[in-house]
Amino acid sequence: MSNKTTKEGNQINEGRAGFLARLNALETVVLAGILLVALAGLMLIGKGFYMKAKAEVSQVLLKRSFQAQLLGETDVKPWPWADFSTEAEITAPRIGKTAVVLSGTSGEALAFGPARLANTPAPGELGTSVIAAHRDTHFRWLKDVKPGDLLIITRKDGANLTFRAGTSRIARWDRSGINADAPGRNLVLATCWPFDATEQGPLRYIVNAELVPDAGQTTLSALDNPVQLPVKSF
Amino acid sequence: MLLDTENTATPQRRANSRQIEYLIIAALAAVTVVLLFAMGFFSHAAAETTEGKPQHFAGFVRPNDMGTGALLFPSRELGSFVEAPRLATDVVIDVNGPIMRTRVTQRFQNPSKGWVEGTYVFPLPENSAVDTLRMQIGDRFIEGEIKAREEARKVYEEAKAAGKKTALLEQQRPNIFTNQVANIGPGETIVVQIEYQSSVHQSGGQFSLRFPMVVAPRYNPDPIVQTVDLDPNSGYAVNDPVPDRDKITAPVLDLSANAKINPVTLTVNLNAGFPIGTVTAPFHETDMQTVDEMARKVSLKNGSVPADKDFELSWNAVAGKTPHAGLFRETKDGKTYLLGFVTPPADNLAAGTQPNREVVFVIDNSGSMAGKSIEQARDSLALAISKLRPEDRFNVVRFDDTMEVHFPSLVPATPDKREDAIAFVRGLTADGGTEMLPALEAALRTQGPVEPRALRQVVFLTDGAIGNEAQLFEEISKNRGDARVFTVGIGSAPNTHFMTKAAEIGRGTFTLIGSEDQVAARMGELFDKLENPAMTDIAVAFDGTNAQDITPNPMPDLYRGEPVVLTAQLDGATPAGKLQIIGKTGSQPWRVEMDVAKASEGKGIAKLWARRKIDDLEANAYAVNDAAALDKQIETVALAHHLVSRVTSLVAVDVTPSRPAGEPVASTDLPLNLPDGWDFEKVFGEKPQQAIPEGQRKAALEQSEEQAMLVADRMAAAPTAHAASLIADAGSQVDLPQTATLADRHILIGLMLLAFALMAATTFSLWRWQLRGLILEARDRVQ
Repeated sequence: MSNKTTKEGNQINEGRAGFLARLNALETVVLAGILLVALAGLMLIGKGFYMKAKAEVSQVLLKRSFQAQLLGETDVKPWPWADFSTEAEITAPRIGKTAVVLSGTSGEALAFGPARLANTPAPGELGTSVIAAHRDTHFRWLKDVKPGDLLIITRKDGANLTFRAGTSRIARWDRSGINADAPGRNLVLATCWPFDATEQGPLRYIVNAELVPDAGQTTLSALDNPVQLPVKSF
Repeated sequence: MLLDTENTATPQRRANSRQIEYLIIAALAAVTVVLLFAMGFFSHAAAETTEGKPQHFAGFVRPNDMGTGALLFPSRELGSFVEAPRLATDVVIDVNGPIMRTRVTQRFQNPSKGWVEGTYVFPLPENSAVDTLRMQIGDRFIEGEIKAREEARKVYEEAKAAGKKTALLEQQRPNIFTNQVANIGPGETIVVQIEYQSSVHQSGGQFSLRFPMVVAPRYNPDPIVQTVDLDPNSGYAVNDPVPDRDKITAPVLDLSANAKINPVTLTVNLNAGFPIGTVTAPFHETDMQTVDEMARKVSLKNGSVPADKDFELSWNAVAGKTPHAGLFRETKDGKTYLLGFVTPPADNLAAGTQPNREVVFVIDNSGSMAGKSIEQARDSLALAISKLRPEDRFNVVRFDDTMEVHFPSLVPATPDKREDAIAFVRGLTADGGTEMLPALEAALRTQGPVEPRALRQVVFLTDGAIGNEAQLFEEISKNRGDARVFTVGIGSAPNTHFMTKAAEIGRGTFTLIGSEDQVAARMGELFDKLENPAMTDIAVAFDGTNAQDITPNPMPDLYRGEPVVLTAQLDGATPAGKLQIIGKTGSQPWRVEMDVAKASEGKGIAKLWARRKIDDLEANAYAVNDAAALDKQIETVALAHHLVSRVTSLVAVDVTPSRPAGEPVASTDLPLNLPDGWDFEKVFGEKPQQAIPEGQRKAALEQSEEQAMLVADRMAAAPTAHAASLIADAGSQVDLPQTATLADRHILIGLMLLAFALMAATTFSLWRWQLRGLILEARDRVQ
């Protein structure tokens, strides 16, 4: 009798081959569900790493086009379909990190690099320049910036400016307390806070910095090597 | 026997187990779907909600929210402001033909015991120009002088540092100015007077003006008191647990009582320049006096309640006397300024003879449009397409660094074609660079010839984030042919300069859509224009006299009911000659001539000309390589006509008349001390004729004192003037963008899902293993 049933079972499953042949309908569905979940997980992981990879790889291309810009080429685009231009390069010599800063935070520029907010002056000009970047990519190192650290900005016009980091604080995005027209030549670096959170939140981490006056030529030559170092490491 | 029962029982059992199996399968599938759904939903919701909306607290305001003139003080909440108590407002509007001058005088108070630096805001109507600023702070009088922008700021900063009363009025963007007022002392009264000039709005024979008066309700932040009545028997509260309703539902200052204590007076001296038919003020009670057949004096009724609406006044001419042309002049510094307007005949454009339209929509879906901008663009375009008539023909072009023309050529706007195009638009995402030129070329050149009697219109939706403006302008001016180019600016900060100029060269108009809720209204306005073109190819010439500058240049097309309004500067104080205006309605030529010598005298024409001249100069910036020279040109015009512009600001300096030192200044004797030509009386003292019952008066006074205390509580007043300026500086702040990607979150959720799948797979195989064991065992037992 039991031989009969197994025979019947085999007949039903005859259409399917290999491993699946040994599963009944219920088991197939369960397995498919598990596979689906696994696939979704893989896709999400892929998406996450793609975003990170995009941030890293684009910086290499940006660096190349920024160097070309420094050499006097105008209308250089990091890649043909880019929708922004490079603006400056920021270096934290003590931490050994560097990144190319883009202009404007509209649209998707932040996915590729730090960006200077369009309604603030260029670094080194009168007022407060604000550069923002993602906490999990380009400004991952911002938490390591300590008061007194030097930050070097190379503008696209070739000017090399040194800023000294001051205090840092945490504020809501719409209550930043940053005044773009404040007296002095200031720089503010901003990223999201808390640093290791995985959710997008309203809080921002803000580092204030002030231009080091009269540091023009001497700083430029003295800091030439630290500026170059991170570039080579890429 | 045994076999028999087996045979009958098995199918039944099998059927039962099948059923259960199906049920389990269905349940599992449902669980999986729900799980996937929830995951997708959560990651989406997280992206939307955690960003946090801008925080608004009752009673705290931001400069852009103000619907009427207000003095704002920095509040204890960084980045927010509180409104200074407004003690009195006086408005005088002089209408002279098509020009109106508005003088606003407002008295405010610093209710706190500290120093503050305030910001005066006033929502200016479009195309208006501020030229006068007078203030009184405490016992000092300051008057605005026009200066080059940097110079003005320097003067202001120096005066501020020296502890003097000072104010600076700068233009941020056209129609948006900020007026900073430094060094306001404890308890001091501030009087602000500004004068601005604008044009009367004309449409379809109706003339109208509008004055912004919407007062933001003031919330009364009484603590919410919740009273609980305990039932004596059960010990439970049984009454309505809603907190004290009276205190929630009556938070607004009683406007009628406030109006008596803090009065608003408004007078319109209407001099229409033609016999007036009817005058109406739809939202306010007014007193109307007839001066003569061409003039009226309109004032707000005494103690009238300021409605929560802007003041509007509209008038028209006696039937049959509607002016179709007018010419006014003003002589200033040996030059004559002319203002002419002509309303073209609208009769030959009956509704039935609307020309067919050929519309090419061009939409920018480059990376800079990502986020809200592309949503607004999609909505606007879908709305525009849905409004086409079946007789119209259309096409859609989208571009980033690539470009796509949706239909091979123009297609009739049949319902299915419209649906098709809307679906295409809805599917657009913002990505890539901005290569506008090929799209523009496609729209202007490759859409085939214009059908006879049809109108070719190109509607361009973009944020204008481009670098090759000059190239694009050239393309438009060379290849526009008969087409009209309309630009629609999308997003919070589009490149308005590019789009205004592109529309001007393309002889169309520029529409700005700043937010989601403006889409319907603004696109509606644009569509009225697109559907009703009245006159094209307008040109102006002077015959027998030397006209230097005619603005606007070139003349735009006219739409139904709109007049041609032009201003010109002529040499000499008494020019003679003829003004000729030619144009085309449909294919019919149209021409009008006016004698310059017969122009009637008008006021403020020179200022209007100057304002338009500055607009023209700004608009032509793309053609001028030397930005400094352009700035200089604008500065010269602005300084000569005392106008605030991008490069000139009003800085107020002390003009207090000398007075014996130590003499106390009470508000009642202030008018005596006013500098020459100043007129502040209206905002001081209550008029005796306003008889208010004593009890009511007292209650109102108490209420406004209470309000003042509330404002004082929320203000961030400083012990010294210097500290006040630091607080004010911190107030104008930069919003920071979202700087967290979802990458980590995606990876985390992905890992969790993988772990879950792994566990499930293990459980599954274990279960299967055991099951097979059981089955085998059972089989063995049977055998």
